[in-house]
Amino acid sequence: MKKRIALVLVFVFGILGIIPFLIPHPIVQNSDEYIRNDILRILAAFALVLALGSLLKVHADKIRRKKVNWQYSWVLILAFIVSSIIGLFGGVAGTGLLPTSFGSFPFDIQTLYENIIIPLASSMFALLAFFMASASYRAFRARSSEATLLLVAAFIVMIGFLPVASSISLKLPAFAQWVLNVPNVAGQRGVLFGIALGAVATSLKIILGIERAWLGGGD
Amino acid sequence: MVRGWRLKFIDRLTKIDRRIIYGILALVVILPLVFPTALKVKPMTPVEKLYEAVDNIPDEKALLLDCSYAPQIKAEVEPMAIAVLRHAFAKRKRVLVLALYVQMLGLAQKALTQVTGEFNSKAQTNADSIIYGRDYVFLGWTPPPLIPMLGMGESIAGVYPADYYGNQTDTLELMQQIKNYNNIGILVCLSGSAIPKSWVAYAQNRFGVAVGVGCTAVSGADFYPYYQTGQFSGLMVGMKGAAEYEELVEENLEIKEKRMASEAMLPMTYAHFVIMLFIIIGNIGYFIQRRRK
Repeated sequence: MKKRIALVLVFVFGILGIIPFLIPHPIVQNSDEYIRNDILRILAAFALVLALGSLLKVHADKIRRKKVNWQYSWVLILAFIVSSIIGLFGGVAGTGLLPTSFGSFPFDIQTLYENIIIPLASSMFALLAFFMASASYRAFRARSSEATLLLVAAFIVMIGFLPVASSISLKLPAFAQWVLNVPNVAGQRGVLFGIALGAVATSLKIILGIERAWLGGGD
Repeated sequence: MVRGWRLKFIDRLTKIDRRIIYGILALVVILPLVFPTALKVKPMTPVEKLYEAVDNIPDEKALLLDCSYAPQIKAEVEPMAIAVLRHAFAKRKRVLVLALYVQMLGLAQKALTQVTGEFNSKAQTNADSIIYGRDYVFLGWTPPPLIPMLGMGESIAGVYPADYYGNQTDTLELMQQIKNYNNIGILVCLSGSAIPKSWVAYAQNRFGVAVGVGCTAVSGADFYPYYQTGQFSGLMVGMKGAAEYEELVEENLEIKEKRMASEAMLPMTYAHFVIMLFIIIGNIGYFIQRRRK
């Protein structure tokens, strides 16, 4: 019964999602606007609360059972609580109910974001350059004709898009642009058509209840 | 003896310690950043088209800037946001800023604070200043992304009843004139993911809004089909794209501010050459070893 309700909901809302793109009548458009602006927004708010609850539950459970690296879960929970309090009561830029500054040092969400999140996330991603350099040295080998072609194309595009490319040859930037505009687009477009057709087929299968893996369980 | 030495050398070519690679790469990136030099770049057609599209926004319309870039790609995409904002404010275009995910709001706020600060520090009169609510509005974020993408076709204030700072959106001066996509000259999406494709699918196909894109170098190749068909009015790819836009802004508007992307061109060039050099060394070693076998 539970699964049947979910299937009916997916069918109804799946069809309701398609119709506004095909019928421009005001009644259809207004209903679509109502579904999106009111119903969908409320659902999203529930999903957000559910996700936060689930996150806390998973980490509380990890601490209780002393699973591997359980100490890090404390970091997450503490960071969650502190940033929630500052965000909820301190406002986004020190404009909230709580005074979020110690002397001249502001302690609002934007300060936390600029001084913790940005440096941490940027550093993590910056490390990629080093791994990429090492990995390309070890793995980027002209082992076959396809790999050689890839290597040559990569070199053309890499050099062609460097600021010094036009100093090497005036035709190099244009050639690199051609590689992206013609062979790349040809391949990408084929992939895009494939993905689009696949997405249509999969969506139809889900809407019509043929594909039920998303429901979980065996049947 | 010579043969043994040669074999050892060839072996070493294919087994360079990763710490040496990391060290050389760090050196070529850090040194030019310590002594920054803005490298001149020649703007390419996709960036020029984006610049023209922003430049040609009619007076009664606004630029909608979607700052959907996370801190991970800040180095590449933030200079784009700053360059586009400098361009728009210098040409007195009206600007609406938003982000589709919550973790990107802080970066949008940071870029706005920087650029408005640059203009306001030089402003002599109220008319010269960039004023919140009159010249720009930071709409903030509303989940899920589908809601603003489709909803702004009908009413922007309907989707964002309050702005990022909690002001009632429809009371702001700018929002009296900018109601929906009909009042948007171009939507510029700055992102490292597939979000620009969603803007095309939902906002452009249904409401006909023009879309311009700034993206990371790694996702650039995915977007060329959309640029080629004209679905993207212009395209700024990676730090080089940002440097090209900065070049256009400086050249045409004579704005002499710090050019983050242009200053990063030198370390980026050196890093590319180092990576290419190591690929060549690896391949030389590989071919000699293969011939030996």
